[in-house]
Amino acid sequence: MSEPTRPMPPPAPGTPSKYVDFLLYASAAVTYTTLSIYNKWLLDWIVGPLWLVAWVWGLPALVKLVRRQPVRPRRDPFEARD
Amino acid sequence: MSWAAHQFEIYAVEAHLPKKMVGKISWFAIFFGDFTPDFLAKFWVYGFNLNGHHYGATKPYEWHRGWPGMGFAHTLFFGAIVCLGIWAWKHNRAWTIGFLLGFTAHVLTDVNDSIGTMLLFPFSTLNWSLHTWAYAATVKGGKYLDAAAYYSSLGFAMDLFWFFVVLGSWRVLTREFWRTRVVPADPHVWSWLGQWIDERGLLALYRGVFFYGACRMVAWATWAHVVARPVINGVKHNGYPLDLSWTGPWWVQRVTLPHVTPWIVLPVTLVLLGAVYFVANTLWERMESGSTKAIAWRNVRRNTT
Repeated sequence: MSEPTRPMPPPAPGTPSKYVDFLLYASAAVTYTTLSIYNKWLLDWIVGPLWLVAWVWGLPALVKLVRRQPVRPRRDPFEARD
Repeated sequence: MSWAAHQFEIYAVEAHLPKKMVGKISWFAIFFGDFTPDFLAKFWVYGFNLNGHHYGATKPYEWHRGWPGMGFAHTLFFGAIVCLGIWAWKHNRAWTIGFLLGFTAHVLTDVNDSIGTMLLFPFSTLNWSLHTWAYAATVKGGKYLDAAAYYSSLGFAMDLFWFFVVLGSWRVLTREFWRTRVVPADPHVWSWLGQWIDERGLLALYRGVFFYGACRMVAWATWAHVVARPVINGVKHNGYPLDLSWTGPWWVQRVTLPHVTPWIVLPVTLVLLGAVYFVANTLWERMESGSTKAIAWRNVRRNTT
């Protein structure tokens, strides 16, 4: 439970910028809200958070797959990258 | 009932933990604590239709918050029982206290609608309600009317209040906060999830409940006031009328359950909030000696001497 906090690791080479992150979050919010106004079944506590994960993590992962880059994370995602 | 407020208050609790609990309370526990009352009671409130037959509670308000019914799921007594169960099972104070705080937030904010919650159950089955807005879940109106009434009343203001509380503590949504305060409190769960999802995905998962709350608030409010064309008392409206008066909106029938006088509800609710805070603070230190980690350390010391 109480572990010493770790220093922020430097971003890995090729890590998308905050700008891309912002665009992903914003587009997730716009698409989800717009679609759910007319499709109320989307307004569900499982669908909502998963929509964000699918949009913010799934889309870049899909792009990586198309580019034949590895998608699975490193063994410890909190380990300092080299 | 509250809608998106329940999603926002999870982050509000996480952002305003007592100093000694910072980085040590499980965010998942707060989430499940806040989520449990409605998870147990809400499905049958709206029910479902199958082959032209409606399956669900005949009196949704009584089922949701009354006794007999599932109203006990919205009581501090039930929360305490579940916390005892978690402690007996896992000996994990991060989960036990986290669940208690999330559960308490849900039960106490729900005193605002017209049926409220049985705060002193099992000693009393009277409901405690501030009657701030009308509880509107009905068999006929279902979820749509309930949402329309909530987002046309002071319930909408309640959602916005919690939304701005979280925005005022915006750091709770940052990557740094998640890394330094949230992950260390639940390293096993996050690293297990990290087998499949990278950090960006895990962070999105953490932010997902806030995202859901914000989006559902906008979506339901937009539908209720822009898209819907309700007929109320024979008059067609462009959107449900907004009514920010106490116990509003006027166009929905306000249901109640046997309750105490509203004047004592706010002070008693605040006293109970303080009591839960005091109990959590007191138990926190004592639970350290009984926690799984402490037991493990004792075993290590015993084996090495």
